[in-house]
Amino acid sequence: MRLGLLTLTAVAALILAGCGSDERGSGAAATSSDNLPLVVFAQANSADPWRQQFDAETKAEAEKHKAEFNFEEQPAEDDSNKQIGVIETFLVKSPKVLLVSPVTVAVQNEVEKAFDAKIPVILLDRGIPGDKYTVRIGGDNVDIGRQAGEFIAKQLKGKGTVLMIQGLGGVDAADDRRNGAMESFKKYPGITVILGDDCKFQRQAAQNYMESFLQTGKPFDAVYAHNDEMAIGAYQAYEHAATKPKVKPLFVGIDGCQKEVVQMIKDGKLDATFRYPDPGPKGVEVAADILKGNMPKEKKVVLPTVLVTKENADKYLADNPNLAK
Amino acid sequence: MLPTTASIRSWLPLIQKYQGLVGLILLLIVALWKSPHSSDPGALFHSTYFTLANLRNILGQLAVPGILAIGATFVILTGGIDLSAGSLLGLLNCITATWLIHGASAPATIGWVLVLGTLVGAILGSIISYSKLQPFVVTLAGMVSIRGIAFVYTNNANISGLQHQITFFESPWLGIPIAGWILFVTTGIGAVILSKTVFGRRVYAVGGNSEAARYAGVPVNRVRIGAFAINGFCIAVAAVLFTARNSNGQPSAGMGYELDAITAAVVGGTALIGGYGNVLGTFVGALFIVCLNIFLILDSVSYYVGQGWKGVIILLAVYLQNLGRRV
Repeated sequence: MRLGLLTLTAVAALILAGCGSDERGSGAAATSSDNLPLVVFAQANSADPWRQQFDAETKAEAEKHKAEFNFEEQPAEDDSNKQIGVIETFLVKSPKVLLVSPVTVAVQNEVEKAFDAKIPVILLDRGIPGDKYTVRIGGDNVDIGRQAGEFIAKQLKGKGTVLMIQGLGGVDAADDRRNGAMESFKKYPGITVILGDDCKFQRQAAQNYMESFLQTGKPFDAVYAHNDEMAIGAYQAYEHAATKPKVKPLFVGIDGCQKEVVQMIKDGKLDATFRYPDPGPKGVEVAADILKGNMPKEKKVVLPTVLVTKENADKYLADNPNLAK
Repeated sequence: MLPTTASIRSWLPLIQKYQGLVGLILLLIVALWKSPHSSDPGALFHSTYFTLANLRNILGQLAVPGILAIGATFVILTGGIDLSAGSLLGLLNCITATWLIHGASAPATIGWVLVLGTLVGAILGSIISYSKLQPFVVTLAGMVSIRGIAFVYTNNANISGLQHQITFFESPWLGIPIAGWILFVTTGIGAVILSKTVFGRRVYAVGGNSEAARYAGVPVNRVRIGAFAINGFCIAVAAVLFTARNSNGQPSAGMGYELDAITAAVVGGTALIGGYGNVLGTFVGALFIVCLNIFLILDSVSYYVGQGWKGVIILLAVYLQNLGRRV
């Protein structure tokens, strides 16, 4: 029975110890000081490779500004309800700037609440309807899709079949990357497009789909995947397939946030990827500017993409030290 | 040594009964110590944690998981478990949003969604009762197919464009969001049903020993179906509040919420084997978890470190419960 008391003491001790430990939210907050203004970041999730790199670069940028403000970040596991709670809790701490990468438009009310309370709101990547935010920073998926389509059509010299492996239905990124590419393909009458399955941006799903597709024996000259993970999956299926096209087809993805992808481009397995720019560092920069009294003049900041091929792969790796593994 | 042992023995049941409360008080003491300083004149003890804004925040976040946990308690008390709660919440969230967007009135939509939730709960309960399959298996199947239905129903897309038909659930009344009041009322009704009605006593009887209950003339199947129907009703209430909070419908909504509900019940002193526990304990358990989440954010503890601590706390809660109850 003494165990009972022991357990209770242990619980108390653990809670106290747990909270006393210095395992702080973000590297930047480890040296948090009470008199500095607070900048908070409600991240959608911290799980997929793009977000991992996004987090790493955001923290690196915040570290540069640690003499100016304290920076805290909380992910929400892609659950909008959780993100609403995170933002609401952040607001209790009276932050000076709120950065949000919305899970969905469902967080709109909560973001507007912050904006109405005169807290500058910086939206990263995904946006919300209306105009109750200070600035939105992100890439332009339609333009990236257009460039990817153009690249593939040129590589195929305007003639051939493109298999498009699609991202999660209903998600803007997938729709934009498809529509942008279709715009470009339409300019080349020799290009035929096969609209492949919705592989949910997942490597495994794309691999399974590609395995089945190769079984059909339909000819194709290029694979355009809405993200790199699916391009990798499709390539892996191709690599291990018994029956495949005589000439290696092109494999083109989007995101450019993983070392693995750049390595595969260097090895000639994948042919190209288009960087989907991560808005974190720019967001932190804008937050620092706002604290200095310079409100952003534009409502929208579009970050440029980078085409990564065998030629510039090494330089790309050197330029982007925080790529996910 | 002897007196100590004896005194602990006498304290243990009390601690077990109120373990959620003990944890909550400990947490609040720690929060007093650790949470950031606030200059808000309304803040108790100059702590950000003890402000009206944070109270509103806590109750706003508590409503959905709290009501789900109340429903789960009924099922767990009968010795069952419901893994489909999160999926059903997602489906009902989509249905609520779709109907409201297509112009249905708020009262009608809410009424029908409550009926639908209760019905789905009753169907799950019936399948379990009459097929004699494990609740775990049946509700696991429910979790998978109801989630599938939600994606088919919405054609795999979020439903947005909801106006302010039901956002009043989020607005405060006497300083507390209406959703929070609904949680209080649900908890109160749940407590009365369990402690003051024949059905309530039968729930404990079925969970304690269903064979004995059957021989004592308790309609075991009907009690199980009733518990699942109440659970379904609670899920529907939570789904309406979820829709109000998120202002849209998401087929992926509520993923993993069934486990949060079970966690709240367990932390609140409800035994997974059934027969022990009550909704007041669950309320405190859910409150403890939400308070802990918020404390971790306010104290800028990393999300993943926080998750680790939550696991430790659940384990300790269950361990504490089992002490002295081992057969």
